[in-house]
Amino acid sequence: MNIADLLKKSVSALSIGAGAGLLFQVVALFAPLYYADLYMILAFLLAEMAVFVVMLIKRTTMEQAALRMDGFGFDERIVTAYEHLDEEGALIRLQREDAMKQLREHRERIQIPLRPSLKRIGLLFLLIVLSVGLSVLPSGAKDRARELHSVQEEAKEKEDEIEEIIEALEQLAQEELTEEQQEMLREMTESLESSIAEYQQADSDKMLTAASQKLSYKYENMSSQLSDIIQDLQDGAGVSVVSADAMQEMADRLKKMSDMRQAKSDGSGTGQGSGGQGDAGDGNGQSGQGDTGDGNGNGQSGNGAGNDDGQNGQSGNGDGNGQNGQGEGGGSGNGRGDGSNSTPHDYISVPNAVADSGNLTGNVGNHETSEYFRAQNGLNWEGAHTSYEEVIGSYEQNAYEGIAAQRYPSGMEDIIKEYFASFNN
Amino acid sequence: MAELDRSRWNDPAYMAQRIAACEREIQKGIVGQRELIRQVMLAMLTGGNVLLEGMPGLGKTRLVSTIGRVFDLSFKRIQFTPDLMPSDVTGTNIIIKNEQGSSFSFERGPVFANLILADEINRATPKTQSALLEAMQEHTVTVGNVSHVLEAPFFVLATQNPIESEGTYPLPEAQLDRFMFKLLVRFPTREELKGIVALTEGSKEPPIEKQMDGEGLLAARNLINQIPIADAVMDYLLEIVMATHAPNPHIREGASPRAAQALIRAARAKAFLEGRFNVSFQDVKEAAYPVLRHRIIPAFDAISAGITEDDIITRILDANTASTGR
Repeated sequence: MNIADLLKKSVSALSIGAGAGLLFQVVALFAPLYYADLYMILAFLLAEMAVFVVMLIKRTTMEQAALRMDGFGFDERIVTAYEHLDEEGALIRLQREDAMKQLREHRERIQIPLRPSLKRIGLLFLLIVLSVGLSVLPSGAKDRARELHSVQEEAKEKEDEIEEIIEALEQLAQEELTEEQQEMLREMTESLESSIAEYQQADSDKMLTAASQKLSYKYENMSSQLSDIIQDLQDGAGVSVVSADAMQEMADRLKKMSDMRQAKSDGSGTGQGSGGQGDAGDGNGQSGQGDTGDGNGNGQSGNGAGNDDGQNGQSGNGDGNGQNGQGEGGGSGNGRGDGSNSTPHDYISVPNAVADSGNLTGNVGNHETSEYFRAQNGLNWEGAHTSYEEVIGSYEQNAYEGIAAQRYPSGMEDIIKEYFASFNN
Repeated sequence: MAELDRSRWNDPAYMAQRIAACEREIQKGIVGQRELIRQVMLAMLTGGNVLLEGMPGLGKTRLVSTIGRVFDLSFKRIQFTPDLMPSDVTGTNIIIKNEQGSSFSFERGPVFANLILADEINRATPKTQSALLEAMQEHTVTVGNVSHVLEAPFFVLATQNPIESEGTYPLPEAQLDRFMFKLLVRFPTREELKGIVALTEGSKEPPIEKQMDGEGLLAARNLINQIPIADAVMDYLLEIVMATHAPNPHIREGASPRAAQALIRAARAKAFLEGRFNVSFQDVKEAAYPVLRHRIIPAFDAISAGITEDDIITRILDANTASTGR
């Protein structure tokens, strides 16, 4: 292999690789590109590998080497001698001797510079410095890329988990079930599939949290439904032990997963709920009106949580959280779901009962009374479509009652009043 | 003069030495024109014919006669005129009368010599010009039903005046192709002119001595034909000839296959003259001009733009360097 050529080509190829890496880094400054650093390194490696492959394929032959040596003033003596090594004759011999003589006498002429030109090396160095410099430069797009990546990783895990559950559900012996029960299982499967879609669409922590909360709810509900089915089957005594055990195992598993998820969301829910109490909660509520379902849900729940514990009870996180409303975050967020995207902005989805209304029959941590229905492509809590003004009015009333009952921290009263007053302006 | 050692005709080193001595001897009789002498020597060493283009009085006849003396070859000069007949060149059958009766006998023309100077060849009619064709190509002369073989070595050196075109018959392409080289005889420099005047108008001219003979010249040709050529050099040579046929706005018609043959022979001879036994890229480059300049027919665009054949060749040489690996 021609080392001089290899070095020269390597510098050129690495420069191209560094240029590509620089391009990735520039893109990463403005667009979320999580693997920009990896791509940069890959560009380097690929460029160098390409050079090795090319050099290996087009490696210098002895004739080419001889020709190159002749370039140093040997007038093609060496290549001619090399090509006619196997031939004999007076002229051939003379030519060979002449070539050897010239080579001996002027060997010092053959000087092939190994080092590539300084200009090329300088360019490569500059490109590398720029690429590395840009890679450590912070930017909003990079933060966003990290967040997105983390969300996607987590979503992927969840998708796998859900697929596993779906598979397990499909393996249950459905032939022993009634049509109604089979329909239930089908709905469970479809519901889980819609959760996969939600995870696939999740591109922020907020969406991920919403999807997780929804999934947690689904798990718990499914666990309950499966338990019911098992009970029905056992009552009818027409089911095999194996099927019953499998279903029971599945129900336990779902329950466990739901509990784990709720336990996990307790930590993050507190933060959200707290936000709901303050400006952030209000803000979410506002934006939720006209924007996405999740935004609405969180905001609404933020406010709702601030008002009462009952709502917390719906999602099972009410205990001790009180006003922080993380339960509502999940609850009402889920309630909106994707459906709210196509819902006119003057209607929002609210829980079918508020905690302090006295109509809620469920207990904290027990969701048996919670009902849900499928609306379009999402799993929604059963609720009524109420006009925006009514909702705001109801909230305002609750807020003022809360102020009267001194449920809010001192100093917040005016803020709450101003907030609701702003809707009336 | 050193005695010729005929036993060493096959010794490349000895022959290279003799040829170099010949060149030096010719230069004694011709002031300047070293390049011209070198190229005429190349043609002689490869058995090619030369077309010289230049003004009258530049020493063309002197060059040929000097070569004749150095190589100990017979020399004839034919002045081509519009009324020159083919038989004036080739010879003719004449009636001989004696005691036995009358019979035809072939009277040899001036073409029967080793060295022919066809002076102002474009002044003769095409019919007479073509009388030289067979001699140049086949080295035979056919009169009636009899072909007469010309003595080897046979070498034609024709001249033509580039500016006086009135009453001339330009050589057709087919005939031009039979000349291995077309050489341009340039006007001498002031110093060279001074030397020419001193040489020709002085009291005595330096003696020109024989350095070789016809037999030795043929042996040298045989040796030159054996000079090895590297594949890359051969590729380069072919690339150049093929490039004359590539689409080129300045070329109406490219060189014939004879150009490739002539280029190989000329490059080999040049290497030999320089004491090398291999052909270099530079040999091919330098041989390309005299070999190709009369074989390329320039397009009207080139003629109108004042682009000469040599300019076209230079561009081809500059553009085709892939085979050289540089």
